[in-house]
Amino acid sequence: MTAAIYTLDQLCLAYPNSRSTGSVLALDQITLTISPDEVVGIIGPNGAGKSSLLQLLNGRYAPNSGRILLSGQPLQQQSAQALARQVATVAQISSAPQGLFCEQVAAMGLLPHKRWYEGTSAQDKQQVRLALQQVGLADKAQLRADTLSGGELQRLYIARALVQQATILLLDEPTNHLDVKYQHQVLQLLQGLNKTIICCLHDLNLAARYCHKLLLLENGRVRAYGTPHDVLRPALLQQVFGLPCVVSSQADYGWLQVTFIPELAHAKVGVPSPC
Amino acid sequence: MLKQLKPRQQALLWLLSGLLVLSLLFSLQIGSVAISWRELLLALTGQAVSEPLTQTIIWQIRLPRLLVAMLVGAGLAVAGAVLQNVSRNPLADPYLFGLMAGAGLGATIVSIVLPDQLISMALAAFLGALLAVLLVFIACMGNRLQKMEVTLLAGVAVSFMLSAISSFILYFAEPFAANRVIFWMMGSLSRTDWHSVALIAPAVMVLLVVALAVRRQLDALLLSDDSARSLGVNTQRLRLVLLLLTALVTACIVAQCGGIAFVGLMVPHMVRYFMGVTAVPLLLGSALFGAIFMMWVDNAARSLLAMQEIPLGVITSVLGSVFFLIILRRQLQQGG
Repeated sequence: MTAAIYTLDQLCLAYPNSRSTGSVLALDQITLTISPDEVVGIIGPNGAGKSSLLQLLNGRYAPNSGRILLSGQPLQQQSAQALARQVATVAQISSAPQGLFCEQVAAMGLLPHKRWYEGTSAQDKQQVRLALQQVGLADKAQLRADTLSGGELQRLYIARALVQQATILLLDEPTNHLDVKYQHQVLQLLQGLNKTIICCLHDLNLAARYCHKLLLLENGRVRAYGTPHDVLRPALLQQVFGLPCVVSSQADYGWLQVTFIPELAHAKVGVPSPC
Repeated sequence: MLKQLKPRQQALLWLLSGLLVLSLLFSLQIGSVAISWRELLLALTGQAVSEPLTQTIIWQIRLPRLLVAMLVGAGLAVAGAVLQNVSRNPLADPYLFGLMAGAGLGATIVSIVLPDQLISMALAAFLGALLAVLLVFIACMGNRLQKMEVTLLAGVAVSFMLSAISSFILYFAEPFAANRVIFWMMGSLSRTDWHSVALIAPAVMVLLVVALAVRRQLDALLLSDDSARSLGVNTQRLRLVLLLLTALVTACIVAQCGGIAFVGLMVPHMVRYFMGVTAVPLLLGSALFGAIFMMWVDNAARSLLAMQEIPLGVITSVLGSVFFLIILRRQLQQGG
């Protein structure tokens, strides 16, 4: 059996409540393991704790209780730089960096591997070129990043993560603001990287199509963790998302497809799941 | 480090370096006593000149003053560039911690309240500037410098508070003493000498070297705090170190030369426009252009009016605001 890359044991995370002296529990008793080279999708309604979990996995926050092991070592004991050599994070895109060229943004991935006195070698430049090529942006290296489309910008940040040479890639809503073509383009790219990919996704159909495993969160707790077939069950999804749904299997390829049907909430007769 | 720059950036840095040397030589000639090129070169190389006073004028008056001008320009511009990048706020400038108001309060107290001038005005201004930084840092302690806008707002509040105290003291002060403080606050290099060079130079050099050493971290901050952290940057520690260093440089400059507005705000913007936003060309370009700009401002301050110096802050503010509006207009026209 392959050793787990992440081991989460009884993790709890609470944020201070700004309006009182108490705190709000964002994650509650999370226990699971993630194997190398898996694509794991974190799904759940708004406020379920998806982004908070990513922030714990990249060391941004420390858990209030419980522990996280990264390749068998406690994550909190690792320096920020050592962590950055193993884990790359692609945050949600809010706006494009002003005045920076694509090549410069991708080259920022070199940072965790460089000492203050070291320059950029020919090998580093080659690495940046390769990463841009891998994400299909080789011809845009000399363009300003603020001229890119949303999909291109997302791919540029993935190129930066590739230059970072981390074995784990964490992505927060990588398909947000992208049209259908770019959504598939970005997720296909991630799937082909042969890295451990952990990403928050709102679109359950994309999650079913591209992830090996899904983690369903609700109110900071794990409701289900397993293959898409294990997790995407109509009754469970209805409980978590509060809407009736049907889950069907795509005839030619076998991917699951979730369709929420709010109208069914008022219907008297239940709809049988095709699964 | 320079090899990584684009050819255009390298060419601009060489051009600025050449202009710096030429500006220094021209500026050494400017003054009430006319000195020929031959005598200037002889004096600079330590050889005997026909008029012994020339040696004194060059080595004891003009050269230290010009070196201070270069250091002040370079220091304020680099401090401004660093602060604008770490805060991602284009309006950040070296006086953001209420440093000028603190220095002004120090100078006011020592000139007006303390009768026998127990300490010099420069030292009092330095202590006042440090007091302002301390107050801003105390106000932001819970925030841990994570939200730069909180730091900027705290700086504005501290600035108003200390200025109000100064104004209160000046209002009741004897007019001559009050005038002295007001003119000092407008900025001048007339009291500077080799001691000023020795005081300001190390602070400016340390800031420049540290900022260049953390160039990659500074560039990563241009994306976002989260992106920088995911690249292994300790954003809190980086900000704290750079804020303290910029405060120290500015306090040294204010203590020696009074308030010289707009250089720290304007020069980095102009350099960014021509040389890009990344740290290496921005810091080196700001240092060189700031030094050249300040030298010519001081030349103008010394020579525009006969027998009288114009306060530096007046010239920098006028020139700065005009240049700034021109660049802003060009950027708008280009849609940038």
